[in-house]
Amino acid sequence: MGAQTAFEQEVARLIVDSLNLEETAPEDIEPEAPLFREGLGLDSIDALELALAIGRAYGVQIRSDDEDNLRIFASLRALSEHIEANRTSS
Amino acid sequence: MSEAAALACPLLTDADTPLARVGGRPVSRAAWLADVRELAARLPEAPAAFNLCEDRYRFSVAFGAILLRGQMNLLPPARGRTVLGEIARGYPEAVALVDSCEEDFPLHTLAVSARGDAGGGNEDRPADIPMIPRDRTAILGFSSGSTGTPTAHPRRWGDLVAVTKQALQRLKLDRTPGHTLVATVPPQHMYGLESTVLPALLGPNTLLAERPFYPADVHAALERETRPVLISTPFHLGTCLRSGQSAPSAPRRILSATAPLEASTAKELEAHFGAPVNEIYGCTEAGAIASRRTVREHHWTPYPGVHVRADGDASGLALAHGPQHREPVPLPDCIEVAEDGRFRMTGRLADMLNIAGKRASLVELNRHLQTLPGVEDGVFIPPADSSDAAGIARLAALVVAPELSETDILEQLAERLDPAFLPRPLVRVDNLPRSTTGKLPRQALLELLASHGEPV
Repeated sequence: MGAQTAFEQEVARLIVDSLNLEETAPEDIEPEAPLFREGLGLDSIDALELALAIGRAYGVQIRSDDEDNLRIFASLRALSEHIEANRTSS
Repeated sequence: MSEAAALACPLLTDADTPLARVGGRPVSRAAWLADVRELAARLPEAPAAFNLCEDRYRFSVAFGAILLRGQMNLLPPARGRTVLGEIARGYPEAVALVDSCEEDFPLHTLAVSARGDAGGGNEDRPADIPMIPRDRTAILGFSSGSTGTPTAHPRRWGDLVAVTKQALQRLKLDRTPGHTLVATVPPQHMYGLESTVLPALLGPNTLLAERPFYPADVHAALERETRPVLISTPFHLGTCLRSGQSAPSAPRRILSATAPLEASTAKELEAHFGAPVNEIYGCTEAGAIASRRTVREHHWTPYPGVHVRADGDASGLALAHGPQHREPVPLPDCIEVAEDGRFRMTGRLADMLNIAGKRASLVELNRHLQTLPGVEDGVFIPPADSSDAAGIARLAALVVAPELSETDILEQLAERLDPAFLPRPLVRVDNLPRSTTGKLPRQALLELLASHGEPV
């Protein structure tokens, strides 16, 4: 299991808090594992909630017509990289 | 009116406005009809076909082609393979029309590639618009029935035409130059069908092929399209509000359905978008039957020609009856009717859940859980407050299944249930706190959840 970077830890906390995943510890989210279907088993309701939380926390607006959209939500690592590359607030 | 005209209605209303916008490009009614004819010629002979296209333009082409071939559109509520399999058992010859073929899909598929550029130039008027018999069953909508298999709700073409005319008139969507219908709801959903595909086919409106999903998409589409109408749900509209994005240039109107909108949220939405918010009342069983302007009306006004009676049927359910119903249809809510015929909801039936705008029967969910192979006992626990615009509370579940893991159980449930109903958390226990009569008191369930470290 790959270790989470400091920023991945922060995003993992955001995921758990914004989706009320009380049964998941942020540090248990595998950085490379899929967030949807398998792994955390998130669905479209979660995708909206998560996009909202990311917009609030980092000023990054998730768009579904972004060609990278599938890749962005592929894993904690991909999502964290996308946020870091596009964030407007800290 | 000639006799033939009385017995059949056109598949399409001629209008100057495009039928659709696909990838930013207008698609005329003539071009749409050319796509419909081309697809209809490729459909295998069968009584019905699944219409699973997510692209709203392709859905509309598939819808028209299926009708033109005298077949029924099968519109499943979810794409879980168990649900599709159960419906397919009744229609073994039905193919599934999809955007693109997926490997390992449980049905025979036929990809719909129509993009509105096959023929029928954009300057042409549609020629020889097909007439569809009024009493032909156009769609079968499905709700999760009480028997374990999805229950089919047939709607005839004449029924769909009638409700669309009522809605166009009530919502003032019958006037040229028409509106662009921007929708976050899928076209398979009865509300999505009645509020996007049909108003474009039968009125001077233009449907947007794409389905904006994230708040940024919704705002961009409203900014981009001409005279947009936003067709959405309390859940989705709530996320648009909470996203904190600046308001786009005002949509002409906002429509909401699938769950009641709080008056305060409606007020915020009207202020944010600068547009009136109209709510539509409907259900899979009856389709849309009423509307209200939520900021100033608590009561729903039935569509023209529709009547609602609260004294109801033998089981005490309120009944709706309009020209689009063969017989009065029981409604899945507790309803009180005022003297002027308007009505208000006084609550949901005890068994009905609404999670993010999706309805399900608790009895039915429990039956699914309890009949999973390897599950000895189990129960879903609804949240105290199951849905409001400020975030979605999920169901919890307690399950007795000594040989299964949480993941095994969730995987099996995912094949049967809409993702909105998957329990979170799902806790495995040694047994359920059943009383001597077999009942499960809510308090005992909450205590058991709490003892496993789950907040309640």
